[in-house]
Amino acid sequence: MRITCPLCGERDRREFYYKGHALELNRPTPDAGEEAWDAYVYTRENPAGETRDLWYHEGGCGAWVVVTRNTVTHEVLATELARGVRR
Amino acid sequence: MRFSGLRVLKEGLTGNRGWAPHWRDPEPKTEYDIVIIGGGGHGLSTAYYLAKEHGLTNVAVLEKGYLGGGNVGRNTTIVRANYFLEGNSQFYSHSLKLWEGLEEDLNYNVMHSQRGIINLFHSDGQRDAAARRGNMMISQGDDAILLGRDELRGMLPYLNYDNLRFPIYGGLYHPRGGTARHDAVAWGYARGADSRGVDLIQNCEVTGIDIKNGKVTGVQTTRGAIRARKIAMVVAGRSSQVAAMAGMRLPIESHVLQAFVTEGLKPCIDHVVTFGMGHFYISQSDKGGLVFGGDIDFYASYAARGNLPTVENVMEAGMALMPMIGKARVLRSWGGIMDMSPDGSPIIDKTHVEGLYLNCGWNYGGFKAVPGSGHVFAHLIATDTYHENATGFRLDRFRTGRGIIDEEGKGSQHNLH
Amino acid sequence: MDKLIAKSPCAGLLPLTIGDVTLTEEEAGAMTVLTPRKGKAEAAAEALAKAHGPAWPEPGRATGPAGARAIWFGHDEVLLMGPDPDKSLGQHAYLVDQSDAWAAVRLEGEGTEDVLARLVPIDLRPEVFKRGHSARTQLFHMSVSITRLPDGAFLILAFRSMAASLVHDLKRAMEAVAARG
Repeated sequence: MRITCPLCGERDRREFYYKGHALELNRPTPDAGEEAWDAYVYTRENPAGETRDLWYHEGGCGAWVVVTRNTVTHEVLATELARGVRR
Repeated sequence: MRFSGLRVLKEGLTGNRGWAPHWRDPEPKTEYDIVIIGGGGHGLSTAYYLAKEHGLTNVAVLEKGYLGGGNVGRNTTIVRANYFLEGNSQFYSHSLKLWEGLEEDLNYNVMHSQRGIINLFHSDGQRDAAARRGNMMISQGDDAILLGRDELRGMLPYLNYDNLRFPIYGGLYHPRGGTARHDAVAWGYARGADSRGVDLIQNCEVTGIDIKNGKVTGVQTTRGAIRARKIAMVVAGRSSQVAAMAGMRLPIESHVLQAFVTEGLKPCIDHVVTFGMGHFYISQSDKGGLVFGGDIDFYASYAARGNLPTVENVMEAGMALMPMIGKARVLRSWGGIMDMSPDGSPIIDKTHVEGLYLNCGWNYGGFKAVPGSGHVFAHLIATDTYHENATGFRLDRFRTGRGIIDEEGKGSQHNLH
Repeated sequence: MDKLIAKSPCAGLLPLTIGDVTLTEEEAGAMTVLTPRKGKAEAAAEALAKAHGPAWPEPGRATGPAGARAIWFGHDEVLLMGPDPDKSLGQHAYLVDQSDAWAAVRLEGEGTEDVLARLVPIDLRPEVFKRGHSARTQLFHMSVSITRLPDGAFLILAFRSMAASLVHDLKRAMEAVAARG
């Protein structure tokens, strides 16, 4: 698997650290309630197919990257800086 | 058909013409008392214990592929009860006891081999942690022996004891741990369940779960609709998709875990050895292949194959631990899909839908749990009460924060467990 | 107190010549990482050019001569190498002094790309990784910054605590390349 860092270009998967689904960019407010926090911290849609997840280019430029990817084929479809995605 | 020495002898002398298929291949009926979704190790053992312990035989196991074609056939076959935390300890202890009587119970050779597991440690701090874990295992009624470096060297002379980064200080020895023949476990349970009247239905994919007024009424499948009073989901590797049919969103992220086997070699590794610092563990199959594995690939995946960086890590760890394996040629590698839960422990529970039961979230540890999981899950399905050795695996522990069983203390990130 | 003697990160390890490739320690001078304040990227770039000369490097690039280099150093980070940073920079950027935190080495000669190809997972051939190009990547297991200097040599920066590993890994790769003749 190779991931295209928006800053550094295409790089080996081993330069990246994996965090989880990109829903982690949308942190609920402290008073959002148990359901919202459960959905943020624990439960996942966990699709078999296209997903969007967060990778950290730790062996490179240090950017957080949102990767659109297929979990069945490991095909990387698109990447963008998490900064641009964040609400 | 019972297996016995006499029977083997007789068949051997008469051209092996008397063996019959071990289970039927029935057409699905239109209605069952209980439908189990998933014909893997856990689903088959659930069916077996429903029949054996609770006399419930109007049961179908629905499998989208073939029996035992998923993770029960893709693991590294390790059986152990060396857990530390309340909730896990008693469950895995329960499961190990079932393993110990399993072959007689099933009248089936699952090649259960209690060759012992040794967890290595590499510092004074780790020795303390190993001693503490060993004490927990003993207080649970299981066995643990703390081995020093010299004792260990006598048992495992082939390790590199003086690795600069991880010199070996000793190991925690769990003599009752070991391995079993994974496929045989699935087959033994399948045969046992079938002989008690359970219908094992292969090539039958569930495509929908019917719910009426908050209660299950049946399933839709590729082989037609099947009505049922109770439905059990036991589909680790696809838990999120099946649960979604019932409107559920699980605390599960799926990850690929790779495993490797070398060409067959003469006996050289007598135990299961785990090298936690290198995320590496190894044993030798009865056929002679070295069976080993490491950490998950680390990213969400449903591909039953991994990527090269993890292969490289595993091989490097193996070489660091036992340089001799550099001479062995790797024959095969494969991947299995792990239900990774946020605390590294499984879920065996009822759901918000009446009559719908959930068994998932086994992380790396599903194989050794096959007997225990089926046993306690059958208890839950049959009685609607939690088995005394499985009260902790509640689905709501994440939402409420009560009863998290985080064996490794890694926090809520799924892939860290 | 006795007089303390400053030692460079690679003191006692370098220089090293194996085959046609030479590895020397580079005099780094002051090292300051600049991160523009919010909305101040242009002002920070202007201040850098005015005070020290080099243009603010784009991702994957380095600017300026020895003694006043600006190296793209990561997401929103530029490393100023050489001069003590002018006070005017602080108005538009956050400054983090990383002097003495990095080992800086220079790899030059025939076949440097072959040496690095054994350690670095990116394409460093001259037609791809040209003069003035820079990358954050890995060298064996270490995080590094690699820049092709105007004279064609490579400038490699690694954490100072890993200086011995850096030299060791490069030395082994140099030996392996030299052995092929």
